[in-house]
Amino acid sequence: MVGAAEEAQLNRLETQVDNGGGGAWEYLCHVRKLKARRPDKVLKHGLSILNNAKARSNLGAEEWTLYEQVAIAAMDCQRLDIAKDCISVLSKKFPGSTRVGRLEGMLFEASGAWADAERAYERLLQDSPHDQVIQKRKIAMAKALGNIAAAVEYLNKYLEIFMADQDAWRELAEIYVSLQMYKQAAFCYEELILCQPTDPLYHLAYAEVLYTMGGLENLQTAKKYYASAINFTGGKNTRALYGLCLCSSAINQITKGRNKEDKESPDLQSLVAEALVKDYKKKAPAKLPLVTNTLKSMKLIS
Amino acid sequence: MAEDLVLDTAIRDWVLIPLSVVMVLIGVLRYFVSKLMRSSQLPDAKALKEGQVIIRARNLKSGANFIPSKSFRARRVYFTNEENGLLYVPKDQAQNAQAQMFSDPNMAMDMMKKNLSMLIPQSLTFAWVNFFFSGFVAAKIPFPLTQRFRAMLQNGIDLSTVDVSYVSSRSWYFLNLFGLRGLFSLILGEENAMDDTQRMMQMGGFGFDAARSLAVEKDSLDIIQHDWALPKMEQRAEEVLRKLLR
Amino acid sequence: MDPRGKEKQSDDLQIFSAENLQSNMKSIYYSRTFLSIVGGVVAGIWGFTGLMGFVFYFLVMAIASMLFAAKAKFSVRTYFDSWNRIVVDGFLGGLMSFVLFWTFAYDIVHIF
Repeated sequence: MVGAAEEAQLNRLETQVDNGGGGAWEYLCHVRKLKARRPDKVLKHGLSILNNAKARSNLGAEEWTLYEQVAIAAMDCQRLDIAKDCISVLSKKFPGSTRVGRLEGMLFEASGAWADAERAYERLLQDSPHDQVIQKRKIAMAKALGNIAAAVEYLNKYLEIFMADQDAWRELAEIYVSLQMYKQAAFCYEELILCQPTDPLYHLAYAEVLYTMGGLENLQTAKKYYASAINFTGGKNTRALYGLCLCSSAINQITKGRNKEDKESPDLQSLVAEALVKDYKKKAPAKLPLVTNTLKSMKLIS
Repeated sequence: MAEDLVLDTAIRDWVLIPLSVVMVLIGVLRYFVSKLMRSSQLPDAKALKEGQVIIRARNLKSGANFIPSKSFRARRVYFTNEENGLLYVPKDQAQNAQAQMFSDPNMAMDMMKKNLSMLIPQSLTFAWVNFFFSGFVAAKIPFPLTQRFRAMLQNGIDLSTVDVSYVSSRSWYFLNLFGLRGLFSLILGEENAMDDTQRMMQMGGFGFDAARSLAVEKDSLDIIQHDWALPKMEQRAEEVLRKLLR
Repeated sequence: MDPRGKEKQSDDLQIFSAENLQSNMKSIYYSRTFLSIVGGVVAGIWGFTGLMGFVFYFLVMAIASMLFAAKAKFSVRTYFDSWNRIVVDGFLGGLMSFVLFWTFAYDIVHIF
């Protein structure tokens, strides 16, 4: 994840480089550090450095890192010819390197030669069975081919060892949601919340999964997580506000016939509804009647 | 201060400066030799997994209050149960771990290499210094010291009347050995920051004792009290919204 | 030389990106080492002896701490997890280098 300040700096550098203000290398370093994905720019500016023999030799050993970066960017842009050139330079420099082998596998992938890519990755995995990137490539490939079951299997196998890898948990959670396996998805989101207890997005996603599963207990829990998402975002996340409304109305429906003490305090829901209305009033007044009608039908505002 | 000794400038030109320069050069040389000899070892699956388990257990510990207690309890059992919990290490296995490490030839080889790259140049330089520069009063530290430091600073000359702040060539060698560390970390980069003393320490501890840290994590997970933080969140959300609406 | 790399800070909870914190601390460490070596040479050439040299060292380090704080725009919390990082860390580590270079320069210039 990229912090706002860092992204702003990156954007500033990008405009500077785009307007010929220099600092291309700095920009590329930044992109690499933040793991930002801006292949078109990287390709353009990276190539301009690589094609300039003097600038290239100024980089020293970093030259090869740049080759790698440009190769990946080129594959992103489907400039396979450039990628191929970069990779061949690298493999001449580092014969037998796993890192270059990875790039070759990715090149196969980019050109759609799935079987070749699979073979290349398998061979690399034999040499270094715990290479995270290669395993992730395999997972991504399975997903890209639509072989979701295999992707889930690979991911589970991967998480068996690298169980502190947040991105993998997130990927697995999203796949489970798409497969409607909500219990498993909830587990993954719990894991993510443990990793980053204050990230509102995980709370929100977890709440959504719980809400989808339904049942009074889950709904109540979901409501709490929506509440915490609202808390962490300062009430600015419309999705969390809506989620809380839906949750409370669902809970109200279930507990309608029961005695009073089971009911939730109505304070929060009316506040949320108010906040929603206010938000729409400010940002999209045209849609305001729609919202008020919906909220009215949910009996959240009068 | 006692009467000043007059030191020959030749001592400066032929002892002090060469000695220091040689120390620096040897430090640089040693850095590159150890870099060459360092074998890139692949961490095996077990060690990798143990590291990851520990990170995850720590996450569980620190974020425990953010997940429902049912989920927390399930995870705790998963980590700490005495049959196949991730953090549970059987007693006999824990004891074996140490023995295993000794029997692993790769490990022993690596250690040997490290020690050799450290010991050989050091003893060689020491022998060389002893052979070439023994018995010089090579330097004078610019601050007074007590008699206790005589053994440290005037190693190699037996003159009890010389002021303590005079340093023998052999002791100058030792001063260099310790004081140049900062310079090395500047000119050779961070990799050299792990200096000799730290390496010595590691030799004793034999790296990272997985079984023990697993047990520590297990204990701290066992005693943790789960107090779900989310019920408070509804109130806090109310407050946040009130503030927003005001 | 300068503490580069912005620290990421979010919420009221102190959450640091460990990588950036390390890089900041490394720059501090390098600056201190560099300063202690340069300071040692300067002290030796000026011929400080006895307590004066140590006072000089502490002065240099104190000024360095001030400069670090200024470089961090006095919002140390943005870059480090505590003030100690700027004020204390590496204080004694540089002393050995300082003494060595002080002695070296002093001997070369004044003793012989």
